[in-house]
Amino acid sequence: MSGDLTQRIAQEHAVAAESLPSAVVAHARRRRAIDALVARGLPTTRDENWRYASLRPLERVRFAPVQGNLNLTQGSLPSAIRGYAPIPGYTRYVFADGRLAAGASGPAAPQAGVTVHAPSRTAATLPSLAPLDRGSEPEGAFELLNEAFAVDSAEIEVASPAGVAPEPIGLEVVFIASASAQQGASYPRLRVTVAPRCQLRLVERHVSLGDEASFVDSMVDVQMHDGASIDHYRVQQLGARATWMDTLSATVGRSATYRLHSIGLGAQAARSTVRVHLRGEGAELALHAVAAGDRQQVLDQYAVVDHAAPHTRTEESFRGIAAGRSRVAFNGKIIVRPGAQGADSNQSLRGLLAGADAEIDVRPQLEIYTDDVRCSHGATAGKLDETMLFYLLSRGLDRDMAQRLLKWAFLEDVVSRIAVVELRTQIEQSLAGQIEELDALKELLHGRPST
Amino acid sequence: MLKIDDLHVTVGGARVLNGLTLEVPQGEVHAIMGPNGSGKSTLAYVLAGRPGYEVTRGSVTYDGRDLLALPPEERARHGVFLGFQYPVEIPGVNNVYLLKAALNAVRKERNQPEVDAFEFLALVREKMRLMRMEESFLSRGVNEGFSGGEKKRNEILQMLVLEPRLAILDETDSGLDIDALKIVAEGVNSLRARERSFVLVTHYQRLLEHVVPDRVHVLVRGRIVKSGDRSLALELERRGYDWLAAEAA
Repeated sequence: MSGDLTQRIAQEHAVAAESLPSAVVAHARRRRAIDALVARGLPTTRDENWRYASLRPLERVRFAPVQGNLNLTQGSLPSAIRGYAPIPGYTRYVFADGRLAAGASGPAAPQAGVTVHAPSRTAATLPSLAPLDRGSEPEGAFELLNEAFAVDSAEIEVASPAGVAPEPIGLEVVFIASASAQQGASYPRLRVTVAPRCQLRLVERHVSLGDEASFVDSMVDVQMHDGASIDHYRVQQLGARATWMDTLSATVGRSATYRLHSIGLGAQAARSTVRVHLRGEGAELALHAVAAGDRQQVLDQYAVVDHAAPHTRTEESFRGIAAGRSRVAFNGKIIVRPGAQGADSNQSLRGLLAGADAEIDVRPQLEIYTDDVRCSHGATAGKLDETMLFYLLSRGLDRDMAQRLLKWAFLEDVVSRIAVVELRTQIEQSLAGQIEELDALKELLHGRPST
Repeated sequence: MLKIDDLHVTVGGARVLNGLTLEVPQGEVHAIMGPNGSGKSTLAYVLAGRPGYEVTRGSVTYDGRDLLALPPEERARHGVFLGFQYPVEIPGVNNVYLLKAALNAVRKERNQPEVDAFEFLALVREKMRLMRMEESFLSRGVNEGFSGGEKKRNEILQMLVLEPRLAILDETDSGLDIDALKIVAEGVNSLRARERSFVLVTHYQRLLEHVVPDRVHVLVRGRIVKSGDRSLALELERRGYDWLAAEAA
């Protein structure tokens, strides 16, 4: 089946190749990506790291990129994102079905020190910073698929103008999917380079406009030079029928700090592969992931962190809730290479089963090739604590409220790390489900009066 | 106020209460004593509505209402309060705001408006002083990281704020040093009133030195085998439970 599918993808690519912009990915590279994809094939659930993913929707996908004709405006976002609020001081870039939608982006003036361009609209020069050694070539099937078909790209370069102290830059990149998978696929593409000692705050969203069964294959590449820092918030809130395949690769230089927050709420089937290469001495990763599944959703995340230099650090936490008949999985692999002495990693992975037919899988994995490291991990999966529930009921709280409160409390230590207030509020609203109870819940959780 | 008639309860298939009959009139404090495993805590949990306790026979009437027909949250709203033997830690849920939500649940049942935020804080602070609790308890998670004694004082704090009509205190005295015991007893005594009843479940009589009960009942193998006034507790202190167990057999 997988072979037939890659053949079909190659045929669709051959037909579309002419019209795919070389400014986004050179034709020769696209060709190589397709060849590699055909050679390696698509993953199947028999593959060790794809056991929990839902790959069946792929059979019905038309892989050629959808011809976007959405006319988005500034007012389009609130209808795509419940509770959306612009983040003060952030510049927003909106992509519709993979293409920059200038009408919904803004404010127009770029901030000092940041270059953002989308090849579909501008002929600006490519970032001048030398690319870092990623540690590995694009190898994932879905990364290759994006490389072959992408029609546009958000290219972000953050550097400090000469003589100016680096100020944190705030950017929001919103990828909107609107088309059905039968019409064509959407290929969000985001490449980020941060110069030495520069700081970036990046909010990346994947959302739907409408309720089509879209196929979205996103690729994110992050390169951090020495001493750089990024707070990266990734929010997946696609529509209930969408399929999301996602690959993020990050290379973190010496003493650079990458804080990655991943929030998975939407889509019918979502799979995210995260590869972080801690390449320079003292490079740090904090990965905080939340996933809340309901109905028949499948939310699967695979994170590989590669400690390739001394004194690199990883702090990884995952909180997942599976309600209804959903399946939620997090597989966190930590590799410590020879020579990465003094590496330090801590994994705290917890799953909560909130539905009789739901499934939770949390799996920490360690591969250590050097002495003198500190790696600790904890992984638990269980049901809502009955004694906690009874305690709350015995104090007069509604059963519904008590259950929701316990689920929230479970997610709280990860959600509370979202430092962007507008974003945290919106996430909390999504999680609360019923907005009218939000204030009450907030009070109970944070002890902060409703605002 | 509370009328328990011929109550039979099984837990996980095991019979724990075997025809317990007890009446607690309004305004009285009744102590339930008994050896380990006699069913004291089961009685407390059944009255509060904990799942997993199956009533196979008998009835419990509270204020003329069938208590067993109510889910636990409704019992609480109607003024039934259980002070837990092992108060539950709920990290992430704020201690004082849970208390506020609990108070508002009771007020709603009584058709009273939600409590004013400032009045509520003033009330909690006053009761915390009585319980000798530090200000920092306001911002902590429910029982999170509390010592055993702090947890028990937190239960009594909740009781003082909620002002239940029927308070069931399950071994609130266990694990307390003498100073903490006095504080807890003061809290209980401050709430004694004509319209309020207490059921004190305890293994030892030392709490009863500070909270003087109107009646003392001895529970052995799931039934009340002897009732008396306060002197019964002193007799139990002297003689232990064995003689009663032998009598009951």
